Amino acid sequence: MPRAEAISAAPGGLRGDSPGLRLARRSLTLIAACVVLLPLADMAVITRDPWSELGRMLSGMAWPHWWSLPSPIGAIALTVAVALWGTLLGILLGFPLALVFSRSRLVRAGCAFVRAIHELFWALLFLQVFGLTAVTALAALAIPYAGIFAKVYAEILEQTPPAPRDALPPGVGRVSRFVYAELPLVWERLAAYTRYRFECAMRASVLLGFVGLPTLGFHLESAFREGRYHEAGALLWLFYLLIASLGVWGHRRLLPLLVVGSAFLLGPWPRIDGDLLWRFVSRDLWPAPLREGDWAGLLAWLGEIPELLPAIGNTLLLGLMGTVGALLVALALWPLASRHFGNRATRLGGRGLLIALRSTPELMLAFIFLLLLGPSMLPAWLALALHNGALIAFLAARHADALQPGMPGLNASGRYAYELLPRIYPGLLALLFYRAEVIIRETAILGMLGIATLGFHIDSSFAYLMFDQAFFLLLVTAALNLGVDALSRRFRPRDVVLDDPCSR
Amino acid sequence: MRWLAVTALALSLFAQTASAQTFRFTAIPDEDQSRLVERFQKVADYLERKLEVDVEYVPVKSYSAAVSAFRNDQVQLAWFGGLSGVQARRLVLGSQALAQGVEDAAFHSYFIAHQSTGLESAERLPKAIEGLSFTFGAKTSTSGRLMPEHFLQERFGKSPQELFSRVGFSGDHSRTIALVEAGTYDIGAVNFSVWNAAVEDGRVDTDKVQVIWKSPAYTDYQWTIRGDADERFGDGFTVKVRQALLDMHNPELLASFPRSGFIPADNDDYAPIETVAESLGLLR
Repeated sequence: MPRAEAISAAPGGLRGDSPGLRLARRSLTLIAACVVLLPLADMAVITRDPWSELGRMLSGMAWPHWWSLPSPIGAIALTVAVALWGTLLGILLGFPLALVFSRSRLVRAGCAFVRAIHELFWALLFLQVFGLTAVTALAALAIPYAGIFAKVYAEILEQTPPAPRDALPPGVGRVSRFVYAELPLVWERLAAYTRYRFECAMRASVLLGFVGLPTLGFHLESAFREGRYHEAGALLWLFYLLIASLGVWGHRRLLPLLVVGSAFLLGPWPRIDGDLLWRFVSRDLWPAPLREGDWAGLLAWLGEIPELLPAIGNTLLLGLMGTVGALLVALALWPLASRHFGNRATRLGGRGLLIALRSTPELMLAFIFLLLLGPSMLPAWLALALHNGALIAFLAARHADALQPGMPGLNASGRYAYELLPRIYPGLLALLFYRAEVIIRETAILGMLGIATLGFHIDSSFAYLMFDQAFFLLLVTAALNLGVDALSRRFRPRDVVLDDPCSR
Repeated sequence: MRWLAVTALALSLFAQTASAQTFRFTAIPDEDQSRLVERFQKVADYLERKLEVDVEYVPVKSYSAAVSAFRNDQVQLAWFGGLSGVQARRLVLGSQALAQGVEDAAFHSYFIAHQSTGLESAERLPKAIEGLSFTFGAKTSTSGRLMPEHFLQERFGKSPQELFSRVGFSGDHSRTIALVEAGTYDIGAVNFSVWNAAVEDGRVDTDKVQVIWKSPAYTDYQWTIRGDADERFGDGFTVKVRQALLDMHNPELLASFPRSGFIPADNDDYAPIETVAESLGLLR
């Protein structure tokens, strides 16, 4: 409905056109949509004897067996190497694209498309031609990251203050103008975003272990899957420490050394079989009837695709639930890590909790909840909400820490409700809308729970080696993501300047 | 003189790298494989002695990764399940099944149930399983997915999704056992040899979960070699590999699979698996 009508239809307290009320209406609409659709989701709780298994897991986390790890150093080094080079290649591809991003519709569409497919699915695709090698890992990171870098770098460059550029005498070349009057002004923010993306790449690099590349995730998943929880605990702690100490080992001065040193860890490079590659790209990815121009056959082929509409429905529903869950989790958790609340000890604890929640792969969170609550959509929902909520909470806390409270004598709840939340909420909501697209992508990897999302069927198609079907479903997923992204762009708070690029 | 020595050395090094073609193998990850690299390293050492080429074991994470490694020639030999072997041989023309475990000629699936279901061990699958929750193993596991689904279809004439309230895919046999033991799923389908090994090691609480049905026999796991192995490693190499596998009698090596020994097998042994997979839409 048109906006004016929506405003007049809103209940009394929410009527009006102030920015605050607009945000409140949007948040409440989102929550209401989730509540209305909730009955469609399978939310049964089935608990019988989860405690012995959970007890084993807990004791594994509490008493990690460091000594029983086979060779964590190699896995850690490879995890870092893949993340570093994946990011680097992403920058190399993405930066030039960022320069033409606002001018070319084609570039924008291409970037949106490669972003829309999850790293894991890129990996599954490349796995078929490059096997379990660094080429698969690097391509799986670099391609989607190129799309992301292109978009975010372009947005940052757009916000370059124009004054120095305008002050240049006429006749200064385009390149000189860029290097001397534009780049230095935004360098800090480009670097900050790149750093944040590198942390994402670390998580993704671990995740790639789940499909078989020998990063930390490979050993983590094996140990966890096979119930060797003391080992899994050790690996998980190792990963938390690695992420928490990123600022130390990932220091600017150390980076060149890391980049060069880690390059040696990526080999051995595969012998690329041209015939195989060509066959995969030209034949395997396309339905046979399409290649033969057999339209009736194509219809039959479409008929074999597992129920597409329920899968899209499940994906969207879980995405909406995950988004709303993440909002609630973020609202509850951000004060834990903010300097405005608690004392040094609670902040340390809170920050640790947020790091743990956002670094633990959703798949593992989901498995814990699966044991605890039984097979339904509930474990997937909780996993998505906690993981993404913690991520948003962390950034919201950082945002709040930059603010100076002006009202003296307020108690903690007053500070939360009247001072800080109103000031960080627009940013938080904008972030959530950005994140919605990511959440949709992540619903894909929870197929293990038997929830038939699009990702579940994509995983099946890869397992049955029906690459044409997998590719088709990937295209559907990408289209869905583009739709959600467009929708969230339409509804995200526009008047907020996201001065912190890491929020994306 | 020195010149000559250096040239000879360089030549011999070159010759070595040229002939040192490494023969690689993998095995599908279907159960607890702690210290897997260590254990299969011993198998690699054994094959190296028998075949007189460098042999390396390549660990993989999933059934499809094993098939894709075989297809991409990253491994030339693989220990596949029934279905993954069929998939691999369809993708790599000329590849052949060499040997299967003694147990694989008559392999079984077990259906296991949580004690709260009150189900007892029976000759026929009980009608009472309808409407309960159920988990398979990996999506392309022969004993954890393909044959159980086939037998369910045969008995009830319904797909698992119609038969059960919820259908999950745990990912592997060990996890199926853990999930049914925790009561997360009422019933699960597992590989009988994995179950027996778990019970023997005391890794499963049989007060909480027990076998309620043993499936009829079918053919399962096998060693498959690529068709171009002779071309790459010399005439008669395939025959040599088969003989080395059949001659593997050391219990320590066989425990990795776990099998009591290997017997000859060929592609035709797996035709029934192929038919079942086609009828269930897992192959086309």
